[in-house]
Amino acid sequence: MTNEAEHVIEVEHLTKRYGGLLAVNGISFTVRKGEVFAFLGPNGAGKTTTVEIIETIRTPTSGNVRLLGMDVTRMKRDIVPRIGVLPQGFSSFDRITVRETLQYYSRLFCRGKTDIDGLIGLVNLKDKTREQYKNLSGGLKQRLGIAIALVNDPEVVFLDEPTTGLDPGARREVWDVLLGLKEKGKTVFLTTHYMEEAELLADAVAIISRGKIIAMGSPRELIESNAKYLLLTLQSIGDKVFEIVRNLGFEPVHDNHKNIKVRVAQTDDVLKILNAIKDAGASFLNLDVRKPNLEEVFLQLTGEALREDPKQMASK
Amino acid sequence: MNPRIISANLVVKLTSFHRERTTMFFTIAFPIILILVFGTIFMSQDNVSYHLCVQDLDQTISSAQSIKTLEHDGEFKITRVDPAANATQYVRDNKVNLVLVIPKGYENSLMQRTDFDNPDASVTITYIYDPSSSSVVTKMQILDAVLAGINQEMSRMPPFIRSAQRSILTRKYRFIEFFIPGIIAMSVMTLSLFSTVDSDTELRQKGIIRKLSTTPITRTDWILSGILYQFILAVISTIVMLLVSYAVFNVSLHIDAWLPAFILLDVIAFVGIGMILTRFVKEAQSAAAAANSISFPMMFLSGSFFPIELMPGFLQKFAKMLPLYYVNEGLRASMVFVDNLAALKDAAVIGVFAAVVFILGIMATKWEEGQ
Repeated sequence: MTNEAEHVIEVEHLTKRYGGLLAVNGISFTVRKGEVFAFLGPNGAGKTTTVEIIETIRTPTSGNVRLLGMDVTRMKRDIVPRIGVLPQGFSSFDRITVRETLQYYSRLFCRGKTDIDGLIGLVNLKDKTREQYKNLSGGLKQRLGIAIALVNDPEVVFLDEPTTGLDPGARREVWDVLLGLKEKGKTVFLTTHYMEEAELLADAVAIISRGKIIAMGSPRELIESNAKYLLLTLQSIGDKVFEIVRNLGFEPVHDNHKNIKVRVAQTDDVLKILNAIKDAGASFLNLDVRKPNLEEVFLQLTGEALREDPKQMASK
Repeated sequence: MNPRIISANLVVKLTSFHRERTTMFFTIAFPIILILVFGTIFMSQDNVSYHLCVQDLDQTISSAQSIKTLEHDGEFKITRVDPAANATQYVRDNKVNLVLVIPKGYENSLMQRTDFDNPDASVTITYIYDPSSSSVVTKMQILDAVLAGINQEMSRMPPFIRSAQRSILTRKYRFIEFFIPGIIAMSVMTLSLFSTVDSDTELRQKGIIRKLSTTPITRTDWILSGILYQFILAVISTIVMLLVSYAVFNVSLHIDAWLPAFILLDVIAFVGIGMILTRFVKEAQSAAAAANSISFPMMFLSGSFFPIELMPGFLQKFAKMLPLYYVNEGLRASMVFVDNLAALKDAAVIGVFAAVVFILGIMATKWEEGQ
């Protein structure tokens, strides 16, 4: 028996197959009421298929999915009025203004008293209410999409890659809106391949790779249980420091900015490296010691980057 | 079915249409352009007269009188060709398709026949013509009929077989009045078919349908609002076409409940076909090509522009298998012949067709992503 107050989404042994392709491979997880749940994974990992099954858009091949205590394959009519969805690559009617679009979706949900102005304020589109959809920038379109997802005051909000394709400024504007949702206590199911997004917003994270969940927990738990090391970054000129670190038995690497990055097990190792550099009469310009982030955890767990290198994408 | 949802959808569709000025212009302007162009052509056909070049080699009072007879017949506008000219060269140089040559000795032969009752006296009038011209055969047939009339008159015997003409219509209708119902049927077809295919393909490509599938709107609400939208556009377009036809060509057509009934059946049939096509085409460009492949044969073979009786027999049989043929016939039955029984028969055929394709269209419309 589902405890709806505790778990609003329950996924058990979910499998989705497209012909010979196994897109989702027997995954199970739960989402608690009022939490922001981030579903992380690279392109093609099965994120969107999973979220679309939970949203009742797709049907599963096997497994059980319950949303707000209801079976998603049998109770679509009862589920739909209680959820809000921002689909991947959201788009709307080109010639309809921001206000008209929200009024339209409000009428689809047969809601007479939707606070359209409140929604417009929440997503910070007050200056754009008379602007037609086609004239909005990418960030503004996504913010309108989030407002549409909230038009029926849903209990669960699904946001499928809400910041993909946005520039950093627009992405931060969307994050501000999502932080506002979190403050309002909405349950948010967020799929993303931006680690910083998940770290900033999520209470719980599930990492999916090739159709399987490979790690789950809070961002802090994931980092602490999977990355038991510190990351030392040294900015230096020449190769002398690099050689010193390597001679100590560590495995330094150069990053894109020619900085030296070294994984160390404890702070004593940092002191050991700094003393060796000092004893050799070498120097460095700057140093940084920090715990690894989710992106590095993901790389460690899957051995693949969370999103494609922009240079590689451009060359395709 | 939720009327509130259907009306919300309708408002969005009509607002988008109103703001899409180019689409709005062509939706209204295209049938009007057709009516103006074809109307002008058909108006001139109602008062048709052919240009005829005549070379009188006899240059007598009798030959001149015969030319005047041709002129007064009303079928021909006569241009006289210099007797010294080479008629064949004249046809080539002046790009005319026929020169009628009255030979020297015409008056003499005529007098032999009329005054001296010489049955062997005769004269040969020559047609110098360009066979590459499409209208020259018609022109020669009319000339033959005129000459046969003259021969018959000269025989001084009353004709044995006479002909009488009796129209099935209570009053004489012009071709433009037969043409307008065909243009209405064709315009409603293209509007419904292209609008459904273009709009549904675009909305699907953009992911708007996917977003809508996460709201309470159902496939039935969506399709019904689409039908209603197309019907409103079709009615507006028809009203504009009729107003232009009345104002410019002073047409006289009977308007009754059959007109909106046939428009609605036309809309349902072609929205249904559009929905079926949308199921199988993914890109907007292929959608337009698919819609063209349906609409073009329909447009030219179902009798919208010209009567199917002008086509070869097998094409006439094919035309009678096209749904637009029954809309054309039904609209003409109600607007021109005022024949309710014929209109009812045509309405029954297109009604059954519309119901079948519409049900298939609903089944073909992919609302959720499914399996």
